[in-house]
Amino acid sequence: MANRENIMRHLNIVGQLQPALHQPQHAPYPDQIDNAHWRAYTRASHDVGGEADVPITWEEKEEEIWEHNTFVTCEVLAWRGMWNAEERRRRQNVDVGQTIYLGLPYYGRWLMTIAMGLVDKQHVKLTELIDKIEEVKQRAKENGGKVYD
Amino acid sequence: MSNSDNHDHDHTAAPMVEEISDFEVLEVAVRELCIEKGIFTQDDHNQWTEYMHTLGPLPAGRLVAKAWLDDDYKQLCIDDPVKASLEVGVDWVNSMPSKFGTPSDYCNPRILVDEPKVKHVVVCTLCSCYPRPILGQSPEWYRTPNYRRRMVRWPRQVLSEFGLQLPEDVEIRVADSNQKTRYVVMPTRPEGTDGWSEDQLAEIVTRDCLIGVAMPRADRKVDDKRHVHKAIHPYGH
Amino acid sequence: MIKSHHVEKATGVGDPQCFKGEAGAAKFKVGDRVRIRNLPDIFYTRSQMYLREAEAVVVKLVYESPPAEDEAWDNTDSPEWFYSLLFKQTDLWPDYPQKFSGDTLETELSERWLEAV
Repeated sequence: MANRENIMRHLNIVGQLQPALHQPQHAPYPDQIDNAHWRAYTRASHDVGGEADVPITWEEKEEEIWEHNTFVTCEVLAWRGMWNAEERRRRQNVDVGQTIYLGLPYYGRWLMTIAMGLVDKQHVKLTELIDKIEEVKQRAKENGGKVYD
Repeated sequence: MSNSDNHDHDHTAAPMVEEISDFEVLEVAVRELCIEKGIFTQDDHNQWTEYMHTLGPLPAGRLVAKAWLDDDYKQLCIDDPVKASLEVGVDWVNSMPSKFGTPSDYCNPRILVDEPKVKHVVVCTLCSCYPRPILGQSPEWYRTPNYRRRMVRWPRQVLSEFGLQLPEDVEIRVADSNQKTRYVVMPTRPEGTDGWSEDQLAEIVTRDCLIGVAMPRADRKVDDKRHVHKAIHPYGH
Repeated sequence: MIKSHHVEKATGVGDPQCFKGEAGAAKFKVGDRVRIRNLPDIFYTRSQMYLREAEAVVVKLVYESPPAEDEAWDNTDSPEWFYSLLFKQTDLWPDYPQKFSGDTLETELSERWLEAV
């Protein structure tokens, strides 16, 4: 009897295959980038209206603890004046670049943007952020692998 | 959803449960640093969390119910949505700890009034702007690049995926909330609700109706059920 | 810490209310036909590419605010009028079915993005 789960998974994976024209030379010569390609590469990644996409199953999602906390941190940072929401959006939805934009989860970008914002605005040194990440990881390891109690 | 192949890179792969989440670690790290550096306090964070707990779609549902029963209030919803919101307990400027509105949602709500021949539906193609102070947190599907790509260009197709199909002579007006305005849809009052109280009417104006992907019905008090993607460590309050 | 403009300017007042009166006279009025300028979208824009070069009708003057392109760097020097614009879907999309030619799209842009038709 056919295993339908594997069939569905196969359809899901092949649906992600994309043709790729491999460009042998990274960082092409300027004369190889016309106006249209300049526009495409430098575009604001969040501007997706009208792009083609396929019908999907519309779903709800449970919120993670970290997602809730991330949202609150972003709003509180604006409340306390570190940034305004438009700056957050610019950093979070465009500065991150095309690959992060489509590759990371929605709130993953919010979270990255907090970290980058703190370092960019010199509230935190990158070395302090790195050390703090290590410290939190270590605490979690000593807490049975749990970051939140 | 889950699979046992560790080399699988498709998006349905479940993470290994033994891993410590990079997201959770970074979230704690930045929050602790913000507090250590004096950018905000834990109490600030708690206060905003408490504010978020007060939010949901009920005030917007009540606004619509009141408008259905009172033409003057309906006109107020059009002319001065901030004032109309006060009457359902939502102060776009002062309800929240900041006292200047929520940073992300601003203070310019706009009520899009459906007519028998005009149906509104809301999308934010650039991110996922949403009228949180009166409607609560946005649904997952509203935030997807997919919804944002397609709703502006293929609204009838997308709406039919939500179960809504409208005749040719109805104008579908897609509102792309790309700046500071936050939209709430006021649907038309459905049949079978004659003589209903404000409470009864408010019950059938659900979140999906207020976004515009559903129309209220006398026999429906909850949004159509959809699959819920589970969280690894869900937030519960 | 240098604080974002909202904390001083918008407390008790709200945003965009805090910019009221700062944009000067509006260039366009309700009913005007405009075309969306295809300015460079380098680094940031909240003027969607799918609107560029299309025509629309002004349906509402909504508020005054710094353009998002400046506010994204917390610059509030030059607020502009923001307009709500109505587009016909058949003007935006070549493949939009003619039988739904009544369908429309409404969205907001600041004055710098508009030119008279």
